[in-house]
Amino acid sequence: MSPRTPAQSIAAQGHYAGSVSRFLAYAIDLAVSTGVFTLALAGISYVVQVVTGNQVSWNRQNIVVIIIYVAWEFFYFGYSWAMSGRTFGMAVLGVRVVRADGSAIDPRHGVLRALVFPLSFLLFGLGFLGILVQRERRALHDLIASTAVVYAWDARAARLRFLAREAETARIPPGG
Amino acid sequence: MSPHRRITDPVEAMAQRVAERVVDLVLNAVDLNAIIKRVDLNAVLAQVDLNALLAQVDVTALIDQVDLNAVLAHVDMAALLDQIDINGLLARVDVDTLVKQTDLGAVIARSSGGAATEVLDAGRSTAVGLDQFIDRWVQRGLRRKVPAPVAPHALLDGQDTPPAAPADTPAADPSETPTEEATPPPEASEEPATEATT
Repeated sequence: MSPRTPAQSIAAQGHYAGSVSRFLAYAIDLAVSTGVFTLALAGISYVVQVVTGNQVSWNRQNIVVIIIYVAWEFFYFGYSWAMSGRTFGMAVLGVRVVRADGSAIDPRHGVLRALVFPLSFLLFGLGFLGILVQRERRALHDLIASTAVVYAWDARAARLRFLAREAETARIPPGG
Repeated sequence: MSPHRRITDPVEAMAQRVAERVVDLVLNAVDLNAIIKRVDLNAVLAQVDLNALLAQVDVTALIDQVDLNAVLAHVDMAALLDQIDINGLLARVDVDTLVKQTDLGAVIARSSGGAATEVLDAGRSTAVGLDQFIDRWVQRGLRRKVPAPVAPHALLDGQDTPPAAPADTPAADPSETPTEEATPPPEASEEPATEATT
């Protein structure tokens, strides 16, 4: 596989996003949301300790903590998809959730997608297999929520930046 | 004055007056427009060496005498621009060369460049490449006879970003949308769209 430049990605804009982009976006989201959750717990512990003097430790196996974590994850993904069609990880990878016909996602479908998202994890993640084999690269939660994920980053601007950097590099004399 | 001059001068003056009178009479009698109509101007012009003629013209002096501002004031620029295929013109511009060989590249690099942007561009491009690499192998493995569509219908016109839907727009079920559009979607096996179309 030859290395790609932004110029080669321009034609892919608006096309169904593939498995690598989506998996990386999800990995970033998981890391960010879990990191924020952990920081929030640490912050709460610190505040409780300062106010009451008692040290609070959170047990990750505690059902309450798990429920709060699941609720937070739902809020993180649901709010992002409902409001802008993309999470932080998706913005980094340049992909976006749209309706099945390609129009912008509305809050109702964004929330629905977040609600049915866990279903794709069932049966060892078989729901995600659709990203690989389904004709429109839609996972189980995409099919249920009538959504799809497409590339939506400004590859044209990226290409100009790429060319500009090449030009700048060519102008700098060796050792200069 | 010599006797000879005394005779010739009045005769010469009279001849001059007669000649002028005759020319006037002839010109009045002749329909010049009719004659000009019978002249084959193309044949005449064919015999003229225009290059030699133009070589003798002092173009600079000629232009100096022309009030170009007054001439341009009479030009309907809007009508003129309407006749120009701007898209066709821009399609002929070699952006790569433009960016590489002009200060435009430096301006872009300084205004929008940055280590983070560079990493982001490279990461996204690599991810797209890996996506397509995996997709090709999956398609080969599945041995599909009909290639899969590459994009949703609304994004097939080359829109880079999905259009924003009005908040009050009712959610359309994909089953409600016609599955067979008048314009079939491009298939995965097709050549990638050119930059101009995206």
